[in-house]
Amino acid sequence: MNRHWNSYLNQTLSRRDLLRVSSAGFGGVALAGLLGAEQARAATANAGPLAVKAPHFPAKAKRVIFLFMHGGPSQVDTFDYKPLLKRDHGKPLPFERPKVVSSETFNLLQSPWAFKQYGQSGAWVSDLFPETAKMVDDLCFIKSMHGSNSRHGGALLELHTGSDTFVRPSMGSWVTYGLGSENSNMPGFITICPTQSHGGANNFGSAFLPAPYAGTAIGSVGIPARDAKIPFISNKETPREIQRKEIDYSQELNRKQLEMTGPDRALEGRIESFELAFRMQAEAPELQDLTAETEATRKLYGLDNPITEDFGRQCLMARRFSEKGVRFVQVSHTYKWDQHERLKRDHEQNAREVDKPIAGLLRDLKSRGLLEDTLVLWGGEFGRTPTAQGSDGRDHNPEAFTMWMAGGGVKPGLSYGATDDYGYYSMIDKVHFHDLHATILHLMGMDHLKLTYRYAGRDFRLTDVHGHVVKGIMA
Amino acid sequence: MPYVLLFILSALTLAAQEDGAAFFEKNVRPILATQCLGCHSATSQPIMGGLRLDSREMALKGGGRGPAIVPGKPAESLFLQAIRHEAGPLKMPPGPKMKDANVAILAQWIQMGAPWGSAVVSQAPQQKYWAFVPPKETAPPAVQNKSWVRSPIDAFILAGLEAKGLQPAKPADKRTLIRRASYDLTGLPPTPAEVNAFLADSSPNAFATVVDRLLASPRYGERWGRHWLDVARYADSNGLDENLVYRNAYRYRDYVIAAFNKDKPFDQFLTEQLAGDLLPEKDLATSIERWTATGFLTLGAKMLAEDDPVKMEMDIVDEQLDTTVRAFMGLTIGCARCHDHKFDPIPQADYYSMAGIFKSSKTMENFKVVAKWHEYVLAPKEDRDKLAAHEARVEAKRKEIGKITKAQNETLIQAATARVGAYLLAAAEVKRSEEMRLAPVESAPGAVTLDAGSFDVGNVPRALQKKKSNVPKDAKGPFYAEYKFEVPAAGDYQIDILEEEKGAGTTDVHVNGTWMKRGADPVQNRAASPEAGGWTVVAVVPLQKGVNTLRLEHASRFPYFEKLLISKNTVANYPRTVVQIAAKHGVNPGFLEQMVEHLKRSDGAVASPLYAWEVYGTGGALAEWKSPAAKLFEGFQPADAQALADKYGDLFVASLEKGKENTDPGLKALYELLKEKFGPFRAPGDARRYYSQAVRDSLRSLDQELKDLEAATPDYPHAMGVTEGEKIDDLAIHLRGSHWTLGQKAPRRFLKVIAGDNQPAIPEGHSGRLELAQWLATKDHPLTSRVIANRMWRWHFGKGIVPSVDNFGRLGEKPTNQPLLDWLAVEFVNQGWSMKQMHRTMMLSNTYQMSSAYDAKASETDPDNVLLWRMNRRRLEAESIRDGIMEVSGGLDVKTTGGSILKYKDRQYVANTAKGGDVDYEKNIRAVYIPVVRSSMYDVFNAFDLPDPAVSNGDRDATVVAPQALFMMNGAVMLRHSRQMAERLLARTDLDDAGRVKEAYERALSRPATSKDIDQALTFIAQMQTAWKGSRESAWQSFCKSLLASNEFIYIN
Repeated sequence: MNRHWNSYLNQTLSRRDLLRVSSAGFGGVALAGLLGAEQARAATANAGPLAVKAPHFPAKAKRVIFLFMHGGPSQVDTFDYKPLLKRDHGKPLPFERPKVVSSETFNLLQSPWAFKQYGQSGAWVSDLFPETAKMVDDLCFIKSMHGSNSRHGGALLELHTGSDTFVRPSMGSWVTYGLGSENSNMPGFITICPTQSHGGANNFGSAFLPAPYAGTAIGSVGIPARDAKIPFISNKETPREIQRKEIDYSQELNRKQLEMTGPDRALEGRIESFELAFRMQAEAPELQDLTAETEATRKLYGLDNPITEDFGRQCLMARRFSEKGVRFVQVSHTYKWDQHERLKRDHEQNAREVDKPIAGLLRDLKSRGLLEDTLVLWGGEFGRTPTAQGSDGRDHNPEAFTMWMAGGGVKPGLSYGATDDYGYYSMIDKVHFHDLHATILHLMGMDHLKLTYRYAGRDFRLTDVHGHVVKGIMA
Repeated sequence: MPYVLLFILSALTLAAQEDGAAFFEKNVRPILATQCLGCHSATSQPIMGGLRLDSREMALKGGGRGPAIVPGKPAESLFLQAIRHEAGPLKMPPGPKMKDANVAILAQWIQMGAPWGSAVVSQAPQQKYWAFVPPKETAPPAVQNKSWVRSPIDAFILAGLEAKGLQPAKPADKRTLIRRASYDLTGLPPTPAEVNAFLADSSPNAFATVVDRLLASPRYGERWGRHWLDVARYADSNGLDENLVYRNAYRYRDYVIAAFNKDKPFDQFLTEQLAGDLLPEKDLATSIERWTATGFLTLGAKMLAEDDPVKMEMDIVDEQLDTTVRAFMGLTIGCARCHDHKFDPIPQADYYSMAGIFKSSKTMENFKVVAKWHEYVLAPKEDRDKLAAHEARVEAKRKEIGKITKAQNETLIQAATARVGAYLLAAAEVKRSEEMRLAPVESAPGAVTLDAGSFDVGNVPRALQKKKSNVPKDAKGPFYAEYKFEVPAAGDYQIDILEEEKGAGTTDVHVNGTWMKRGADPVQNRAASPEAGGWTVVAVVPLQKGVNTLRLEHASRFPYFEKLLISKNTVANYPRTVVQIAAKHGVNPGFLEQMVEHLKRSDGAVASPLYAWEVYGTGGALAEWKSPAAKLFEGFQPADAQALADKYGDLFVASLEKGKENTDPGLKALYELLKEKFGPFRAPGDARRYYSQAVRDSLRSLDQELKDLEAATPDYPHAMGVTEGEKIDDLAIHLRGSHWTLGQKAPRRFLKVIAGDNQPAIPEGHSGRLELAQWLATKDHPLTSRVIANRMWRWHFGKGIVPSVDNFGRLGEKPTNQPLLDWLAVEFVNQGWSMKQMHRTMMLSNTYQMSSAYDAKASETDPDNVLLWRMNRRRLEAESIRDGIMEVSGGLDVKTTGGSILKYKDRQYVANTAKGGDVDYEKNIRAVYIPVVRSSMYDVFNAFDLPDPAVSNGDRDATVVAPQALFMMNGAVMLRHSRQMAERLLARTDLDDAGRVKEAYERALSRPATSKDIDQALTFIAQMQTAWKGSRESAWQSFCKSLLASNEFIYIN
């Protein structure tokens, strides 16, 4: 930090100015009058928008890793065991279908996979996830998830932002807005190889929250994880030491100008932003460089197998980012789980790609003592119907699906909530996306009713006017 | 009801009333007055929910939701339910829940029969909120320092400053001023020549001349049009759920740029965007311009794949209404979709009154998944009529084909359903065949091997390509390859195929003119990964001695494979293809395959009517059978499979006799199976091949006619836009915003708080869009002129007089100088809504021309510069950074204007344009012409705060964050153009290095380099030349890069 400008910095700030400046060292100021109380809390730290902020109450989880299974994994073929589905295979669904469905489905379709019980908790897992199955005593299943949109676009947006109607900030943005980033050299919210469809960047956008809270995309769908980079993170033309000289010269011009203009927080902030960028440029590629990991770790994540390599890389990168204090990391297994047909073949292939890396990530986090305060979340945008589409497929089903959590303050080995006998509707202890959001915030020490942002004259929340914290899953 | 009881009840009520009045006055009235009457009395504006609580009569009558209080029945009183938060989403009063003690009092009071005190609880009349009172002409205030006042604006500003003991900053120097004005009006830096001309002009009008020159430049519309595009949430793709290209959105963008350039009066600009199509017709060019203007309403981000079409439509209407009200009135209305606005006087009914206007307009052609938005055909009427007639012909042709197909399919289905027994037997044989697996042969003595490309006749490429279409472009199917080969003896032969990967596709197989195997489409699921390749069995077929013909054929595609192998079959009872088995049983292969699929799916399910057949011979217990059809088989003991199949066949035929009218549940179940939508007897996908040759021929020529017709569709340019709806009607209030629960109809009209209660009805057959536009464009509308004047102030000064430029409501920020805002609003209207005139008014004030210099004392008094004691220093916006860098390097092409560089077709999906390179974002045209792809925006736009293009936003952020610095360090635009700038400087052989540094400063910063600047630069360049191992270009590039990355370049003083 460039100490010699500090004389300029003891001034009150407007909210705009404050948000303009990334991390200049201005002193703490009383802001409650200018901002909503929450924006003030977020801003009282004596640095920019990404400075670490105290939670509302002690947090169980400091960071989140979200393993997103895009397309809609089938709950009744993975973690929500339904013996009656086998018994009544071929029978018509004995109750009404939802009013709105994405297409017609036929009679009940049994799962092509056998289920077994695992661990001390005796959780049922299908043969699709043999590796994850070994970790069930660390997992907390929410079997009663439900959403309100039967299409990928709407459901993705609802999962990520809480709204399938409007563009709203992503949950990762809210978390970062609420808590800041523990690593001032890195963005607070990173999404690795995100989807470009079904809402695309809206799923990790900051909407009306200030831009620094938007998810930084590393790579994109279709780009192998090994080639995924932060935008503008490097150029091939300029050697590092030359770039340092260029920045030094530019900074000298800036300081000279600052002497002429007098104190100006934005100008000062911009000077600091170059230093941050230079550090980020050094640190980010290092964090993405997986060759630094031991052979054993690389194997643990399945980097030695072409089937698991790509997702394994994403998971390992996620651990490295989390370890270095990135608040919210999302990993995407992009648009693969949409089995309207060829359920058997493709769900199997998908599960093969992710099962080992997921188990590897959980084991690795555990052995490093990171699982305690890292919340791992697994799931898709909806589940699938227990009824058949064709002879080997299932339709979208937002009425019921399973997500699981691990680490960060959730009860391990728990199975929470339940669906009906066939897994079509969430029935007991239903958990909507809004409730999931409220719960994630709660685990991170934030009250979803209090984490607000004033925009267009209204105090907005991640949970809008909904959301209940699911107390039953708390450790 | 017994009389006695009635009497007792009313006696009790009477008794209670005596001290009821006192109870009310003492306990209830204070609660009502402090917590309810603000929104629920005769003087409330508006009366929220239509409920008044200022008299007993009104309270009993209730509001939109019915009676609020049922005397004596607290639990049934909605009033109390709302207070107890027991009425669903209705929770009153807004904010924290009422204290338990007060709730108890109110409950007791209702229990007592809700007695009242004096007639009306009085409430001081609320003052009307400032923003709903039209601005009045205001005289500028008196000031001490009169000599500083050049424009009335200055008087308004100075009065504020003087009141705080502050002085305005000194005038900016001319170089600063022209740089400020140039970026401000054109988004580009002034050229050194323009700077010099201004410096040389010592007339008092020198700056006015600059302003006029800039306003007359076509670059002006490109800059100010872009401001409006932020408000209009402009984008070139849908971006919400399904990212479809808005190929014609750019026409709206070009319309906006042109409107600014020709100084279209704002009232007209507004009217055209909301209702251009409804203005009296003039000539075609004008009509096209006006239709294009209504693109404003269509451009929003939509959920195009929503299974609930009513929700989809209401979401689109909501987006239009919200954007319109925010853009022109600076109000948020969205929350009134579900409930009365909690802070602004917008009741839910007003929302639906206005929503009805857009609902009665046509934005969409349909609400299917994926939905289609409406576009105008930009052509003269006779051409449009021609097009419509042509499209009708296409549709008629399509229907004609559909009709024939349907009748033919019906015949096929009838024939098939009459022979279900045969299908069951055939299906059983198919199943057996599938269980018997043949091994591929790979090589065998005397086998014939054929290379894929060695066919004798065919219309596919001989060199078949992997993973690519092997169908020649624009060619018509079917696609085929026909091989001739010889075998020494007649007999059964096995055909094998060598593929690199399976799943690439299959074809029909014909041997010597006989169809042998049915092809299927290749795997469609993109998630699927291919299976391992190698030899695969195709079929065993009978061949004749000598020459045979093998024909591979597919209607629409042709797979990749390497070789075919024909070898003598050595397996007894070899499996057969569905086609062979169908031929044997005299059934249709299409239905047969569907029957097989059905049986696989049902797989012995006890609920299936075919259970008996499925378990026959497997030892399955008939007692388990749960279908009603079971009864039909009671006591039936089939001698063999044939007998069981015959029985089924007879029963199915019997079930057809009565059809839907079947009373026997068993027959009904059988009938339903025959008619099942996805059942075995649906028309097969390839039904056509089973029609008679004559029908096929006639269909083929009809297909051709359709194709020709489609190809002959006249191609006219299109523009997105809105027109009047087919159904014009008022909307019912959606309780809690849900279309499943409808309330009363809300007649179409405008906000009551502004337009009042007695609004003229919208004429019969009008959506009301034109009336809405005209109402907004009235001179004394309290918001329209204020909102746009404030927007312009924001874009000139960096901060609005109402800082929340998009929200003038109660939760927005208050004007920092309302008299100034009102003066500007009135002046704007008086100047004929002219934007250019308003620029002059603002820019020719001393206020605009102040320096941005720091002043310690003023900074202490007014740290945020709310009173404007100096000009705000501003960061360049995304477009200006990019265009500015290109301009300074000498590489910006300003001649290419309008149009779109997007290479996508209309409504085509667009995914990742940021990385893929299918949009040339770095093309050196002005940034305003660079496509805005929602959800995959140009990364430079992303880094520098281009607002989310899904949301109207008149107040861009100007963040300073590290990713922007990364762009300056590593961005391709930066690298390329700093290089170009260096090369241009070095090419100036008329200059020495000091001269080159000066030139760089003039171009980039519009100021001469000081001698210290020059020394420093030359030292740096020399150092860099060493660092770059002697490369002069690279050293100069380093210098240019550093200069362009500097704060002085990125900020305007």
